Parts: sequence; structure tokens; C-alpha cells
Amino acid sequence: MNKKVTRRDLLKGIGFGVGAIALAACAPAATTAPTAVQPTNAPAAAQPTTAPAAATGTTTVTYWGFSGALGKTEDDLVAKYHAKQTAVKIDRQVQGSYEETAQKLTAALAAKTAPDMVLLSDVWWFKFYRAKALLPMNDLAATAKIDSADFVESLWKEGVRQGNQYWIPFARSTPLFYYNADMFKAAGLPDRGPKTWTEFSEWAPKLVKMDGSTMKVAAFAGLAAASYSAWVFQCVNWAFGGSYSSPDLKITLLDPGTIDASQFYTDLVNKKQLASTPKDVQKDFTTGLTATALLSTGGLTGILKDAQFNVGTAFVPEEKAVGVCTGGSGLTILTGTAADKATAAANYIAYATGNEGGEFWSQNSGYMPVRKSTVSSATYQKFFADHPQAKTAVDQLPRTRPQDAARVFIPGGDQILGKGLDRIVVGKEDIKAVWTDIAAQLEKEAEPVRKDLATLGG
Amino acid sequence: MQNTARHPANSIRRLIKRDWREWLVFLAFAGPNVALFAIFTYTPLINNLLLSFSDWNMISADKNFVGLQNYVDIINDSQMGKVLLNTVLFTSSSVLLVLLLGLGGGLLLNQKLRGRNAARSILFTPNILSGAAIAIVWIYIFDPRFGLIYTVLKPLGIDSPKWLTDPNWALPAIVIVYVWKYLGYATVIYIAGLQAIPGDLYEAARVDGASAWMRFRHVTLPGLSPVMFFLILTSILSSFQSFDIINVMTKGGPVNATNTLIYRLYELGFINFAIGRAGVIGMVLFVMMFAVTLLQLRYLDRQVSYA
Repeated sequence: MNKKVTRRDLLKGIGFGVGAIALAACAPAATTAPTAVQPTNAPAAAQPTTAPAAATGTTTVTYWGFSGALGKTEDDLVAKYHAKQTAVKIDRQVQGSYEETAQKLTAALAAKTAPDMVLLSDVWWFKFYRAKALLPMNDLAATAKIDSADFVESLWKEGVRQGNQYWIPFARSTPLFYYNADMFKAAGLPDRGPKTWTEFSEWAPKLVKMDGSTMKVAAFAGLAAASYSAWVFQCVNWAFGGSYSSPDLKITLLDPGTIDASQFYTDLVNKKQLASTPKDVQKDFTTGLTATALLSTGGLTGILKDAQFNVGTAFVPEEKAVGVCTGGSGLTILTGTAADKATAAANYIAYATGNEGGEFWSQNSGYMPVRKSTVSSATYQKFFADHPQAKTAVDQLPRTRPQDAARVFIPGGDQILGKGLDRIVVGKEDIKAVWTDIAAQLEKEAEPVRKDLATLGG
Repeated sequence: MQNTARHPANSIRRLIKRDWREWLVFLAFAGPNVALFAIFTYTPLINNLLLSFSDWNMISADKNFVGLQNYVDIINDSQMGKVLLNTVLFTSSSVLLVLLLGLGGGLLLNQKLRGRNAARSILFTPNILSGAAIAIVWIYIFDPRFGLIYTVLKPLGIDSPKWLTDPNWALPAIVIVYVWKYLGYATVIYIAGLQAIPGDLYEAARVDGASAWMRFRHVTLPGLSPVMFFLILTSILSSFQSFDIINVMTKGGPVNATNTLIYRLYELGFINFAIGRAGVIGMVLFVMMFAVTLLQLRYLDRQVSYA
């Protein structure tokens, strides 16, 4: 039969269609995320479980973790965990960089679709602590047998507020002084890093290669885009006796130490023409465009893989003082997480930061082992013997101290400071004028932080 | 009809019924569109306005009304002058280049040339690619030590500028990428406009002894004016909102050289999580775009000849 569609039919159809869409829009959204595809290398056969006692089935924990190459290593870590037990399943999801993860977590918290566990970087976890979005983990850690005494103390303490652990060290790093050992040899320099920045200034002219007025090989590269340059510069700043702020968030950018460090940094690039400001410091180092660089220990695996020359690692140079900061990221559980999922998440954290998981993770990623017993284990000592570059990072650990509050506690503080540095080194602006302006910006952004801390009691 | 005339109440009822039916038809056609605009444009706009008066950080339960404080802060923001200047420079130069080069491309590809269709497709391709992907490719092209531009300039003895790390070159670099992406779109619109100009106008002009330049000046340009009007409007609006290329290539740097209003909005809103101040920039952008649209409707529209 051939029925003609009338105008009335059409209107009816549209009416139904709009109604259906409206109904669909009003329906409650699914709250559980779709199950991610299991890594295929995870054995199907279950092995004896060491997981939570209360578990009667499989508890799935939604986890937002690393992206990119580190994400693949983390996938392997999760697969190892799954092979060991079946009571907890980690649904690892990727949201992007640390910044993107923080942005998406903010949106997810507003939409009440936050995951159970999130990897948050040094500059982001505090924002979520302030918003009371992070679960205090003392009891969970005790249940999951996470032995706080076995963690490197400085790393563990950074995540403690009011006696409670909110942020458990996982992928922790420090800046490391990387040098191209082949270039050092060719320049007649010893096969070690410079002890002080002054010594480095003496060495640097031997490392620079010019082609007319163009710098072909820089002696040093340490300043990329605004992001993370303030992390690396923090070490230089501390070495010269400066700081970004005091622990109670007093901005100290105009102290003589910071001015001296800034002067030293900008002179390296502009006056002495020894250093470059590339877009991607790590790429410049691995392609031989700079002889040395200050980069994260977390980049070690990638650098050793990409570099076609002998890579040396050394402590960050000192000057008036030792200056090495910690960095990287840790694991957090969110307040909205159900009790069984929180317990399961803590069980995973115990594995990922424990001897077996932690050893696999740090050896394959380049991040530092966070537990003392991991470092002293026989397998790790053998790893150090095979990879002396990785040992430097661990040896340097006792020299570290927690970062300046202005960089890690003020939202966007890292980038505000980075922009200031950018203006001084690339824009060649007056140091005091820039830091005065940046200090005002930081003060402004610090207001809500101070207010929240007063409410939270610290 | 006789019947209704005799019973006025009846006629009113019928009128209402007919009116009601017309309303229904109107709603059926306009309703979905209005609903979509209300949900995805007007509601966020009003919410943004409300947020611009608050001190919210997008996560805290605290959301206090702070009056005009955010507006005062933005006016006093030491970076705003530079950001506004960048926005105006970026928009004016990219729109001008897209319009001029697009016109050239349109005129050229409207000729009966061999491979014309292939050329049109190639020119249009960047437009359908993602801005982020394009930006990544251009980072390599711009690289001052091994990029494509370096390779081309080296035999000529010219040093490649440090496009993305030199504050003087970063904005031009962004403009180049933007123009490259949107040129094809303008060209295709121009071609459509050129083909809509009646051929007999050119014939008449030729009979009257008009030179090629005069034919272009007095037939082509007036004929293209509606298309140009459309392109000016859409290019200005889209360049105001250009975020992807800047975010991937320079993140507003070096030294704020490519920090535009839309990027500053992102920085304040999603890095500093000062959503109130980001809301103020949203309002500034809204007012600027609204003003541009009004100005164009009011003044430019008069000079458009819809031949």
C-alpha cells in the first residue's frame, strides 16, 4: 500500500521525536563508566588472591592515570596486578596530561561522575584537598598494609595534612643534571657534572658551537614554555639562596637570592650566549642540540632510548646552597568513592608503590623508587649496576626538599612563575619589575588558598 | 461561511483554533532550533554572566557574590593590554589575509584551468583537518634548526627565524597557520560567488569597451559584495575564537606574544580556576563580537549589492 505522508503526519512525527528526545534527556545518566578493554597480556587464569578480605566478587576501581608512553608502562603495571589477584580490577582511563586530568576532574566532580582514584601531580592535588574532594587515607593505608615508615620520608610527608595522608607518592621525580658525555669528552671536560653553577659557567664556553652568529649547540637548555620551567628554575633559585615563597605562602620573589638566580639564568642566555631556550628541552638534548639540560628523572628512560650518545647524569649543581626540589605525582582516592572501592583502590596503591609493583614501575619509567626497601633490594642494586644513570637520582634524594608553596599550592602558580621567567629570559625585561608584577599576581591567587587553609586548619 | 457569520462566538472559536494550529506549525518548525539555542547558547551565556559576578573556583561549595570585583580585577590585570592588542592584531591580519588571498585563489580557480578541481580540493583540505593536528605539523615546519622553512631558506643564505620561541615571530607564525587553514574555505565561497554573477553583465561591459580592471572593479567586486560580507563576518567571529592552534603551538607564549582573549580566558578559567574572571573575559568577547556583528549589519550591509 502506498500511503502519502500528510502535513499532519509529519507534525505528529516531529512531535513524537521531540518528545522522545526530551524524555531521553531527562533520564538519569549512567553513572558507571563502561568497562575498559582488558590488556590482552593479562593471563585469564586466576592466581591465589591476596586482595581485600571482604571481597566476595570483583571490585572494579575506576582510575585516571598516565597518558602516552608512561601510560603504556602503567598499563603493564596494572596487568601485572591483575595477574596477581582477581578481587580488584583497575579500570585505567586516560584523560591526558596532569593539567588536563585536573581540569576534567574538576568538571567530573561538578557532574558527580568522578572516578574512584586519580593520579594528581605535585601542583594539582592540593587544589582538590582544599575542596575536600580527597579522602584521608590513614585507615585505608593501614588496612591495605601500606607501610608509611618504609617510604622515603620527605616524599611521604608532602602528602600529609593535619596528620592525615591524602596523596601517596607514586611517580615521584627530581630534576637531574643530564649531560652529553661524548661532548664533554670532546671538549676535554671530566666525565662528571659541574659541582657548582660557577664551575658550569667556566665549562660552558667549551661546549658551545657557533655557526656564524647562529648557535648550533648550546651548552645548556633549561627553559621551555611557561609550563614546568618554574620547577627546574626552583633548583637554581634555591642554589643562589632564593625562593618563590615561604612555607606559610609569603611571596619572596624580591629577595636578593631570587634576583641573583634570575640574573644568572638570563645572563646564560642573553649576555654570555651559552644557553638556549628551545620549545622542547628534552628533544634538544637527545638530538644533540644542547650539551646539558636540567630535566626530570621521569624522562630518564625516554632519554636513554632516544639519545645516540653516552648520557651522563649528575646532581643538580649547587652554588651558595644545595638546591634540589621534588616533583612528580601521587595517587589519591576521592571522597565520593564507595567504601569497598576505596579499600580496593588502597589495595592497588599498596601494590603499585610496593616492592614488586614499585620496582617494575620505577625501573621501566625512570621515576624514583618511593620505598627504602625497594632501593636496598638485591634486584634493585643490580639494576643500578646496569643503569648507573638511574642511581644518581636515588643518591640525590637526600638532598631534596619540598617545593615552595607559591608553585604548588596556588592554582596556576607554576605557570604564573613560568611566565615571569619567560619575560625575564626571553623577553629580556627588567628582573625586579617582572617579579614585582608576578608577586602581585601570586598574592591575588593566594587569597582563596589562605582562606581555605584557615577553614581547614592547615 | 454563512454559518459563522451568524454566530460570532463560533467564528472567534474557529479563529482561535486556526491560530492555535498556526502556532503549532510555527512551534514545530522553530521550536527545535529555539530549544537548542536556549540550551546550548542562551543558558550558558546567562550562567556566564552570573559567574562573572562570583568568586567561584569551579569546585568549592562556596560561590560568593562579589559584585563588580572581577571586572575591576580584569581592568587592572597587567596582561590585559597586551592580550587585547594581540587579539586585534591577530584578528585584523588573519581576516585581511584570508579575504585577499582567498579572493586571489577564487579568481584563479574560477578560470578554466587544467587540474582546477584537484587544486580546489587541495586548497580546501586544511579546512577540514583538525586544528590541533595542523598545529603539530606546523611546529615541525617552523623548527628553526631542522624544519621545512629552515631547509628552504638555508640555500639562500637566510637564517630561519625562531618562529615559536621569538616573541616577535610567534604571532606572525600563528597568523600564517590560521590563514593556511581557512584560506580554502574563503576560496570556495568566493568561487560560488563568482559563479553567481550573471555572465551577460561581463558581456555588456565588454561591449561598452570596459577593460579587464574595470570589469573587475565594476562587475566582479559589486557582485561579490554579499559573499565578502558573509566572509568578513564569519572570519572575524571565528578568528576571535581561535584557540586550538594557539594552545598546541605556543600556549600563549613566548612572553604573552600570542596570548589572545580566548586563550587568556582558558588560562584564568582552567589553569588558575578563577572562573569569575574568566567569565568577565567571556563577556568582553561576547560584547566585542556582538558589536562587530551589529556594526557590520548596520553599515556594511548598506553597501552590499545583491545583484
